Amino acid sequence: MVKPQLPSSVSSPQDLAALTLEVHGYLRWFAHASVKKRVTGAAISQPPELSPGATELIRDWAAKQQLTQAGLDELVKALEDFKQNAPSLTVTLAAPVPGDLKEKLVTWFRQNVAPDILVTFRFNATLLGGMVVNYGSRIFDWSFRRQILAARHKFPEVLRNV
Amino acid sequence: MDYLQIFLLFNVFAMGVLAAVAVRHAYAHFRPKEPESPKLIANVPQVQLPPMVRGRLVKEAEQHFLQQLDQSVTDLQKDLRATSVQMNKQLEQLGTAVAISEKGRYASMLEDLRKRTQIALSAAQAELDQHQVELKAQMAQAVVAEQQLLIKQIDAKLADAVASFLTEALQHNVDLGSQSEYLVDLLNQHKEDFKREVTGGEAAATK
Repeated sequence: MVKPQLPSSVSSPQDLAALTLEVHGYLRWFAHASVKKRVTGAAISQPPELSPGATELIRDWAAKQQLTQAGLDELVKALEDFKQNAPSLTVTLAAPVPGDLKEKLVTWFRQNVAPDILVTFRFNATLLGGMVVNYGSRIFDWSFRRQILAARHKFPEVLRNV
Repeated sequence: MDYLQIFLLFNVFAMGVLAAVAVRHAYAHFRPKEPESPKLIANVPQVQLPPMVRGRLVKEAEQHFLQQLDQSVTDLQKDLRATSVQMNKQLEQLGTAVAISEKGRYASMLEDLRKRTQIALSAAQAELDQHQVELKAQMAQAVVAEQQLLIKQIDAKLADAVASFLTEALQHNVDLGSQSEYLVDLLNQHKEDFKREVTGGEAAATK
């Protein structure tokens, strides 16, 4: 089965769920429009408004396969498969992640770890900086707070040498 | 004849002798002989003296007897006095000797007791000094340990205070834009760890 390339704006399982709904909606419109055109020969109505991510996904999919109902069904199935089997991790930063940084990080994960990986972003101001990555039961804590706490025994030595 | 038979014969002979002696003694005890009356001295013819002469002789004999008696009494008194003086002297010497010996014994006992007490006191003093030294060393160690503990506690509290201060001071207005390169470098450093975790998890999931 051909796997679609998830756009970097679609990072988390919630984004994927929203994208799947959008593609479902597009599929329904496509089915209706196809039947209407076959039966009445009337012009196809305007497609529903899609997000840039959904648009990019469908465009990429159409480039690989023909944009037919079967193709769209396969796309939906592939998205469902992503939802069930794609690896998922959580990245916690010290502030709400801006869009460009989010895309940068998601692109990095999909290029270096797994192409279908889903990333959920959270923020916690007490981290002060750096990030905390949770994957399953593993936690990778590279936050400034942890580094400060790990090196706190050096404060008295530094103060003595001042 | 062996020695036992000789010894038995000798014993029989000794028993016979002893029995004979015992019989003689019993006979003498139960039938004592009357003592022989003393033989009279040959009779002395009696001479008749005139009463005046007899009286004078008796008087002279009485005076002589009284003189002898007085002399004996005087001698006896003299002897008694000398004996009592001698006895007093002897008693005084004996008493002095006993007092001196008892005093010497008492003094030696006291000296012995004093020496033993001195030894015991010295031992106790030495033990006290040693115990004092040990206590001082223990106290010094305890003080040092307490100092170290306090320093450690102060360091820990200081470290916690500084960490809390930094957390409180830096948690506001965090700029992620300036950290983006740092975050990507961080991910690149741990790329293999991620791959291992994800692929290992997928392999476990497929199993």
